[in-house]
Amino acid sequence: MGNEDIQMIVLIAALLFAVVIGFIIYFVVLYRNRQLKNKKEQEEREAVYRQEVLKTQIEIQEQTFEHVSKEIHDNITQVLSFVKLSMGTLGNTLDDTKKAKMNESRELIAQVITDLRDLSKSMSFEHITSLGLKKTIEREVEKLNKSELVKTTFLTEGQPYSLGEQRELVLFRILQEALNNALKHAKAKHFKIDLQYQHDLFTLSIEDDGAGFSRELLNNKSGSGLRNMGNRAALIGGNATIDSAPGEGCRIKVSLNPFKQLYIDGGPHPNSVS
Amino acid sequence: MFNLATIYILILAGVLMVGLVRYRKLTVPFKLLTICIIFTFVLEVIGEFFAFNNKNNSFLSHIESLTNYFFYSFTFFYLFENKQIRKMILISIGIVCVFFIINALFIQSFKKIFPTNVLLISNIFYIIFSLLLFKQMLRNPSNMSIIRQSIFWFNTGILIFSTTMFLNLGLIGYYAEHHWGKGSLYYFWAGSVYTFGILIGFSLLIDNKKANTYNG
Repeated sequence: MGNEDIQMIVLIAALLFAVVIGFIIYFVVLYRNRQLKNKKEQEEREAVYRQEVLKTQIEIQEQTFEHVSKEIHDNITQVLSFVKLSMGTLGNTLDDTKKAKMNESRELIAQVITDLRDLSKSMSFEHITSLGLKKTIEREVEKLNKSELVKTTFLTEGQPYSLGEQRELVLFRILQEALNNALKHAKAKHFKIDLQYQHDLFTLSIEDDGAGFSRELLNNKSGSGLRNMGNRAALIGGNATIDSAPGEGCRIKVSLNPFKQLYIDGGPHPNSVS
Repeated sequence: MFNLATIYILILAGVLMVGLVRYRKLTVPFKLLTICIIFTFVLEVIGEFFAFNNKNNSFLSHIESLTNYFFYSFTFFYLFENKQIRKMILISIGIVCVFFIINALFIQSFKKIFPTNVLLISNIFYIIFSLLLFKQMLRNPSNMSIIRQSIFWFNTGILIFSTTMFLNLGLIGYYAEHHWGKGSLYYFWAGSVYTFGILIGFSLLIDNKKANTYNG
């Protein structure tokens, strides 16, 4: 066999190997791309699922709040009002000492009725729908300041605009959660609530001077309320940042694009531009 | 020539050891592949013994061509998820068996001639199965890294072996027709089968039924 024949075999073999190896390399690259695409799609599906679960949780929570709110308003406060009236009628038949005691009790019942009505209002989403976020927060702040448990400052920057009922409700619940945490766990004495209405960015900031907490708390079981704030913010297309350290209070900031079309809306936002 | 064949037998022995040691951990297709390697190894050793004693061993090549096709096809059978492809594999086994008998009796006598015709047809089927298996892998990619997937190395081995062997067998006929020697072709053959053996061995080494990426 001549050199030319050997060269021909080597050439054909080399070409064949090159084609096969080239094909396999191409396949590996293609496969890797498919893996990445699949992974991304899977993550998106999981995110949608998580949002669906969270949305359902919030819906159930709102229904429960609404039910409890109606029960307080339509049943408990009505009964208490009746008790108050009966005590007033009964008081007329008593001597002065007992009458004074009875009036004290009536005043306490009146206070309880007022507190329960406030509680009923803060639990119901009807106020968010009718008053909007800013006014609802103002009422909440008034209530807090009236209680004298904490001193709350409420600031608004920019021209207020509607964020949509769902978003405003979620933001209000985040605020309630933050206030509740600060009062119950951090023993805060001062709150600062700030709403910033910019053209393409809305920001809700909540600051307190409570005991604060370490970063580890966010990762363990007892930090589920704090994590839930982040999840709720994500559900309305926002981003929540929680900044705290032991002894340094807590700063919570929720930012969102007011014109972003959202999954939670179930359709285009009234002010949506996308 | 003897040295090249001995190296091949040594590689086969290594692959066989890997298959036998890990047999319990292997998935069904790779267990079949191990059994196939046992047959191949035994037939190759006997074949070498015959060749060493200057006896014709072509009948062993005929048997090996059929057993290999049977086992490799069933390995593919268990790797495929598509029922139509599985059916096609079963039909192909029937076709190759019929062709094997016709070829051995009337075209390439199993007593005298190496069964290139059966091997050519087998390799065409292997190439088709291999490409279809790559397609299946692309359609449903696993989260596992491709280099840790036994199916990938098996399929790569089959594709390299079949495409190069297809050319090799074709050239053998062409060279024989022109009365040329076949020295360099044996090196080409050796390169193909060594690569194939190593890749199959690697697939047996990493295959694990607890982490398989297919339905085997």
